[in-house]
Parts: sequence; C-alpha cells; structure tokens
Amino acid sequence: MLTEISAIAPQDTGEDTAVQIDGVSKSFSGTVALEPIRLKVRRGEFLTLLGPSGCGKTTLLNLIAGFLEADEGELFIDHDLVTQVPPHQRKIGIVFQNYALFPHMSVAQNVAYGLRTRRVPKAETAERVREALALVKLEDFADRRPRQLSGGQQQRVALARALVIRPRVLLLDEPFSALDRNLRSAMQVELREIQSRLGLTTVFVTHDQSEALSMSDRIAVMSRGRIRQIGTPSQIYDRPENHFVSTFVGDANLFAATLLEKTDATASLDIGTTRLSLATFQEELPEPGPVTLFVRPEQCSLTDPDQPGAIAATVALSVYQGSYAELHLDCSVAENGRVMLRVPASEAMEPGTDVGIALPERGPAIYTTTERET
Amino acid sequence: MSKRPFLGWFASPSILIAFGIAASFLAIVQFSLRAHIPGALDPGGFTLDNFTTLWKTVYGKAFVTTVLLCWWTALFTLLIGYPLAYAMVRAKSARLRSAILLISLTPLFLGEIVRTYSWMIVLGNRGFLNATLMQLGVIDRPLDLMFTMTGVVIALVHFTLPIVVVMLAAALSHIDRNLERAATSLGAGRIRCFLTVTLPLSIPGIVTATSTAFAWTFSAFATPQMIGGGKVQTISTLVYQVGFASFNFPLAASLSLVGLLFTIAVLALFNTGIHRLERIGAH
Repeated sequence: MLTEISAIAPQDTGEDTAVQIDGVSKSFSGTVALEPIRLKVRRGEFLTLLGPSGCGKTTLLNLIAGFLEADEGELFIDHDLVTQVPPHQRKIGIVFQNYALFPHMSVAQNVAYGLRTRRVPKAETAERVREALALVKLEDFADRRPRQLSGGQQQRVALARALVIRPRVLLLDEPFSALDRNLRSAMQVELREIQSRLGLTTVFVTHDQSEALSMSDRIAVMSRGRIRQIGTPSQIYDRPENHFVSTFVGDANLFAATLLEKTDATASLDIGTTRLSLATFQEELPEPGPVTLFVRPEQCSLTDPDQPGAIAATVALSVYQGSYAELHLDCSVAENGRVMLRVPASEAMEPGTDVGIALPERGPAIYTTTERET
Repeated sequence: MSKRPFLGWFASPSILIAFGIAASFLAIVQFSLRAHIPGALDPGGFTLDNFTTLWKTVYGKAFVTTVLLCWWTALFTLLIGYPLAYAMVRAKSARLRSAILLISLTPLFLGEIVRTYSWMIVLGNRGFLNATLMQLGVIDRPLDLMFTMTGVVIALVHFTLPIVVVMLAAALSHIDRNLERAATSLGAGRIRCFLTVTLPLSIPGIVTATSTAFAWTFSAFATPQMIGGGKVQTISTLVYQVGFASFNFPLAASLSLVGLLFTIAVLALFNTGIHRLERIGAH
C-alpha cells in the first residue's frame, strides 16, 4: 500500500524525515492494540492520526512519546534511534486532551517547567517564557493559576508549555474535544498558524474527521491497529482506498452491485436492474462478483425515475439545514436501504415522491463487499 | 423532589444513637463538676476542684506523652504508609494492588487485644525481634522495647497504618496521571516528577491522613496500656487508672473532657493548615 501512496505523493523523495516508525507494534495482555506500523512524518508536517476509538491512534502517540514501550520495531526522531530512550529525554512537546496543567503552579511556572528541568539560566527562562506566552497571546496571565483561566486559555498555556522547550516533535492528543464549537474552530486556526510559522513537525490524534480534513497536511486513517490509508486530506476524501476509509471520512452512499466486467479504466456493473459503465480512480478493481459501489452525496444528482441509468428511490425525509436540505431516500439497492443527497433548500421534496438517482460517470469507487469492517 | 418519604425512617437509628451519645456526654460533664468523696462511688456537691487538680505534673506529663506518642506515630505511619499507598495506586498488576491493600488492612480486622498481645510477643526481651537480632549478632543485649515509648509507637504505627494507607491511596489516585506524563515529557525524571508534581499535589491528602492518624492514636487505649505497662502513661490510660483503679469518677470525667477539648483543638489546627495548603495545591 505504501508504494502506491508514494506514487501519489511525488514530493516524497528527498524530504527530511522527522519521525520514522519502523514496524512498531504493541499488544496489551494478549490483545493487539497496534499491528506493526510503518510511517514517516516529514519535517514541518502536520500529520493527523484519524480513527474511531480503539483504533490504536492513541497507542501510537504514546509510543512516540515514550509512555509505552513498543513490543517490536524501531522508532527514530530526527534520525536518532529512540526506541529505548525514556520519555523525559526524547525532547517532545505534548498537549493533552485535558491540558494537564499543573494546578499548584502559576501559568508562568507551568510554562517554565520544561526549562527548569533543563537547567536553563534564570534570565533566559524568563525571556523564553515571556516569548512563549506572547506567542499564544497570554502575556497578561502569567501570574494566574490554571483554574482561573477559561478552557481555551488553558489550552494555550498547555501549548506554550509544550512549545517553549523547542520540541523536536509536537504531539497533540485530541486537544480540542473539550472546547465548545466556536472556540474549537478559533483554536484550530490559531494552532495551525503557530505550527506552520514555527515549521514544527506535529502529530495530531483525533476521531473527528472534519477536524482532520481541515487541519492536516496528511492524514493517516487507522482502524483495528492498522493504517488503512495515508495521504493528503483531498486524497483521503476523494480517493478513499477501501471501504473503511470511504465510510469513516465524510458521508458515503453505498450500493450493493455486481461487477460484470472490468478493463483498465472502466467497469461495468449491475445495480439492481440498472446496468452502468463507470470510470473510477482506483488502480486496482476487485474481481468480478458482488461488490460495494461507493458514491459521495455531492456526486449523486436527482433525476427523473424513468431516465435510463437512474436508480429508483423514494423520498423518505427532508432535513432542512439552512443553505441546503438533506434528502434521505429509501432505495432498495442501497446497502443500508438509505441514500442521502444534498440539494438546494428550495428544491427540497415532499416525502413519498418517487425520484431517480443519477450516478456520475467518473468518481465512484468499487470495493469488495467482504472488506466491510468498522 | 423535596419529599423524601423514607428519610425519617433512615434517620431514626442515628437520632437514637446521637441521643445516647449526648446523654452520656452530659453525664461526663456533670461528673466532672462534682466533688470526689473517697471511698464512695457517688459523687459529692458541685465544684471546680477537679480541673485545678489537673494542673498537677502527673497529668501534664500524660498530655505531653500523649502528644509525643501521636506525633511519632503519625510521622512513622506517614513514612511507611506513603510508599505503600503509592505502590498500591500505581502497581501495574491488579494482584499486587490487592495484596498490598489486604496486607495494609489486616490490622483493622485483628482486634485490638489480639494485635497488642502479638506485639508483646514480638517486642519482649526474649521476643521475636530481640531474639532474631541477637542471633544475628546485631545486638548483644536485648533492646528495651516493652514498656517504652518506642515499643508503644511501633505497635501504634501498625494500628494506624490501615487508615493512613487508605486515605493516602484515595488522595493519590485522584492525581491525574497526565500531570506526571506532562512533567516527564517536559524533561523531568522520576524523582523530579515526584517531588515537583506528585508530592505537592498529595499534600492535602497527607494532612488529612496525618490529622486522622493523630486523632486515632490519641484515643488508643489497649496498646499503650498493655505495651506501655503503666510506664508510658497517656491520657486514656490515666483516665482508666483514675476512674477504675482509684474510682475517682469525677476526676476521670474531667480528664476525659479536657482530653476531648485538646483533641478538638489539635484537629482544628490541622484543619486551618489544610485550608491554607489547599489554597496552594488545590486541584
């Protein structure tokens, strides 16, 4: 799989690697949390580990941080082998989900902690703490206690504390999940700005796919202890390589189909009684037989039910969303019986209306049905 | 919401007990204000003489002994209990955790007399401890452990350990593990991490555990009575002696009362200490 990805990402060669994970795996009392993982994080890159809970993303983060020991494999940070190096010598910055600010220290003392452990001279410490707090716009809060700050401010202190030690890698463990929605997007922008300004290699763990799509240079989608696909957000969204990625990232409509014939560029298949010929982006199509056809909602369009090539469906529900409406359609050939489309709010239809779904000639992907998993 | 139909039923036993305690407490207050008639079990008229008698050196010494005993016991219990509690909270294997819990809780189940007799066997001149140490050639004369402060403190530490371990474990388990991880990621080794994060954050727990240990030891009777053997006189052993050897109930009552007020004063002092520390180390 990795070779395919390098083919998609042409700038891969010659780039400096900040973190290299070489066949690292981890089990907890017999249960495999992480299959052997191979992953390179480029210098200055914002890489997101995306996946549902229990997929191994946090385990991988803890392995990079050194809080867990790998069962096998090797880990390099800045080309240094760190597999056996204890966490306090790895020079890594971490922002935790609950920020983990020291409650018995002031904001300035929190930020200074990593400098004091490194015996940085007092004057330099004061200067660097001031710089770090200025970076997160909290200069005036140096003497406050963490609990006197709002959630967003606490998060910025946590960020300043991690950045002040000039870490080789910044690790972010779901840092936005405790913030309310408005604050979250503001903090996401701010974090991304600081990160790209400092050119800081960042590994970000999240289960929120929209967060991953909006923030990352690259995303590694994980499930069941494996990386299922790695690529830029648009590669992940537009060209999911397998069934899992297609449904976990973004909305997906899935149709049960039978693949009749495949050539280099096109595939002909039956969806119910409808016969279609499609071009997909996939380099490799499954063998002819029962398959799953995957189409994004925005790739589908509504048409007349009698139109050739249209898939028959009935409007079940129309959900008003402001600028658009979500049409949920009952469709007998859809895998879970439902298809979702977005239409301009003015074109919303009454439940019970018979419609046809037109699939695009390019764009849909075809997966083997057996590959379905969570 | 405001109507809780069973509250009255649930509360009634506690009201009964509270009533009993209040009544006996009033009886003690009443006794402490009555004159002692030698040879008679019934007290005489109202007087404040009992409290002036307490200014005598014997009673003063008992107070000092009691406070010293409490102090040493609290100190050593803390020194032994903290690592135990830490190990109990942080041990990776569940089996080890429950083993530590079980071992530290057994003193509570043993019963005071059995436990104290066991200690007498261990601490005596030809007891387990002295015999072993002499066999090993560490000492050539038996250590004076029975009928000494040291012996009483050893037995009291054992007696107090369970509550201290449980209270410290509760305090330690409330410290967010991510704080230690954060400290580690910022370059702190194990020792620095403990000294700058774990220990300061457990101070409220330490104070609570210590003050409880203090009060716990203060009221101990069988251990100082049996291991101290009259040589280590605490307030509780003195109350027993005055009340049940000399049958001077009024004086015993006033001694109890002053002891109680003293405990309350000490605990109040601890309490203000906690509040001050909480302002420093609050979560």
